[in-house]
Amino acid sequence: MDQALANVRVLDISSSAGGAWCTRLLADLGADVILLEPPGGHPLRSEAPFDLDGRSLVAEYFLANKRAARFDFEADDCAGRLAALAKPVDVVVTSLRPSEAGRLGLSYAAFGNASLVVAHITPYGISGKRADTPGNELTVAALSGWAALNGQASSSPLRPTGHQVAFCAGTVAAGCVIAALVDRDREGGAGQEVDISELDVMVSAGSPGILRGQYTGHSTPRRESADVTAGPVPVADGYFALTISRAHFWRDAMTVLGLHDLAEDPRWETSWYRQSHKDEYSGRVGEAMLGWKKADLFEELAARRVVAGPVLTMEELRSNSHLAERHFWTEADGQDFPGAPFRMSATPWRLRSRAPEPPTTEVEAK
Amino acid sequence: MSSPLSGMRGIVLTQAWAGAYCTELLGFMGADIIQVEVRKRPDSWRGAYDAPLPEKLRGGDSVRNAWNCNYLYNSVNLNKRCVTLDLQTAEGAAIFRQMLPLADFVVENFSPRVLNNLGFAYEEMDRIRPGIILCSLSAYGHTGPWANVPGIGGTIEPTSGLSALLGYPGGHPMNSGLMYPDAVAGLNAFTAVLAAVRHRNRTGKGQYIDLSMQEANLVFAGEAALEFIRTGRQRERMGNRHPAFAPHGIFPCRGHDRWIAIACQSETEWQQLLHAFGGPISLRGELFASNSQRKANEDELESALAAITCERDRDELAEQLTGAGVIAARVFDALEIAEDQGLRERGVIGKVQHPEAGEWLQALVPWRFSRSEKPLVRAAPRLGEHSAEVFAELLGMDPGEYARLAEAGISGEGPPD
Repeated sequence: MDQALANVRVLDISSSAGGAWCTRLLADLGADVILLEPPGGHPLRSEAPFDLDGRSLVAEYFLANKRAARFDFEADDCAGRLAALAKPVDVVVTSLRPSEAGRLGLSYAAFGNASLVVAHITPYGISGKRADTPGNELTVAALSGWAALNGQASSSPLRPTGHQVAFCAGTVAAGCVIAALVDRDREGGAGQEVDISELDVMVSAGSPGILRGQYTGHSTPRRESADVTAGPVPVADGYFALTISRAHFWRDAMTVLGLHDLAEDPRWETSWYRQSHKDEYSGRVGEAMLGWKKADLFEELAARRVVAGPVLTMEELRSNSHLAERHFWTEADGQDFPGAPFRMSATPWRLRSRAPEPPTTEVEAK
Repeated sequence: MSSPLSGMRGIVLTQAWAGAYCTELLGFMGADIIQVEVRKRPDSWRGAYDAPLPEKLRGGDSVRNAWNCNYLYNSVNLNKRCVTLDLQTAEGAAIFRQMLPLADFVVENFSPRVLNNLGFAYEEMDRIRPGIILCSLSAYGHTGPWANVPGIGGTIEPTSGLSALLGYPGGHPMNSGLMYPDAVAGLNAFTAVLAAVRHRNRTGKGQYIDLSMQEANLVFAGEAALEFIRTGRQRERMGNRHPAFAPHGIFPCRGHDRWIAIACQSETEWQQLLHAFGGPISLRGELFASNSQRKANEDELESALAAITCERDRDELAEQLTGAGVIAARVFDALEIAEDQGLRERGVIGKVQHPEAGEWLQALVPWRFSRSEKPLVRAAPRLGEHSAEVFAELLGMDPGEYARLAEAGISGEGPPD
């Protein structure tokens, strides 16, 4: 079996998590990715947290499946040396803001390779008024509206966890690189530039909230409290989300919880009624849930096809029988890793190697 | 000029957010996306047939049906055509069977049993249309003990490990304000289908893509998973903080619910921040002299910063800080995003004219190609808007035959008679 990006060669000169996730996904789909690291190493290598051997876990995850070579971006003729290295490759991935690229003399034309696909992954894109403004996960979460929605009303807006912006933007960028390769096959081998703004991607990923705000005349406020209608609430051994939408979810869930009067009263079957009268039941439902362990409640509700979900920790996910049976967890170079985001029957996702050791020798074009 | 998927067609059975978002993005790539819905149970994001019209739309000249105006549906179904077809009827299934040979890919996000029950498992589709790509998005994937456990974004967030990571330091686990796992699933499915298209164009071979929302989202929590694997630690909830740098947070500004995000990732950036603030005494002490001290005294640091920012106007402060090279940004709400000039310049926000709902500012294409054509954005389709057009174009169906199908409830518009 072949992989979708077999024979695709990628030169990764990016230094951000978004760029790194794009090339990780391209590598997982079969591309040969060569990562150029500055003499100080890729910035993710110094990002906490670290494993017991002192390796950055962020680097271990984002840089896996690639080969690495050292490249001094600050030495003379950076653009010329990169153009020579990029001659035999199909794709270059960068995370430079326009002013940084300009300082190094880098441009699409400077590569001198009309079949090249160059993907730019930057916080705000390579055009527009923010193109040269520095940004990161936090500022993209702030400007895209994600922070304003996350968290509680009584506290500050909250950014998404970890590197969600990088994952989303990197995934879109990988899709766009593949699209550009599809296009190149059709268009007589002509490459092009792809401009991915992490902010644009997160705005797109939050599109329902943008239209909702205009329809209602106000933005959705952060939630007042942690009650059963607003996400996970405590159960006997952790937290549990009971996301009631359809009428039968309500009836069956209330029956399981032993709240028969709530189950049988037809007023509660309508979702708008439940939402506007939640003070009348959320306390009782929360109390009843405290008597349940999360796995037991999940099993009871799943058997009735009620949508519900226990908050699982990484320890629980590692021993989860469903994921085990689907062989989700994978292995490379004797190390366990999270597996594929999707399963492709003919061209499988594959992790071949862990993150490369920091390169020690300078790369030169052959 | 063309777009990367110009000339390709997706006949899609996607609904709600994840699947619909994936196929909207494929439409933005130039593919002809034909969304198949059924009159007796339209996409849940259209809302119920008897749902009231949103207040802002009431009395509008063009507004007729609430199910064509729902902000949820209309925000993730741009650039599609919509046909109605009841696949549970023999005749509806037969028409779908005739359409399949004209499709390059199919995307669906039913519960795993549904497509099989309708007689359209991947093997059958591949028999009808050799080389077809079928992408299934489901809560837990199509195999394994949880395959038939129902799930939505709000329950996948907890079961994928994301909820355990989201929250304030020392606080309880949370779900995101939107059903974020749907967006994650949609983005991954988009990329998976493109990879399958490349393979198909080169080999003629199609394939089946099984996307489990739980797995796609767990991959996005993967660094914390790897942390557990390598160290045995469950990562703590960190709020807005960064594992290594401080400050890294969201701070109040003058006025109600006005906030600014500020981060310093190096000593230089901290000095730039100090300079921009005019070197206030509260930030100068030994407590905050280095990143490791700032990290160790992060509660005090955040209090000291908040005491400064809460006196300042958000917009002025953001301008001042970014001008000084500090990583900072205003915290926008949905209305501010719609009005932001920078996002409009980029083309990711723009006006969309819907034939019933009217003109609104919406999120559009989140990428730019230098050569490939930028697609013209079209509003989300009304229920069954393109049935007659698509059946005529693809199958040569005459208007009389379409009228008969509509009469029988197999196709048509609006609630069943």
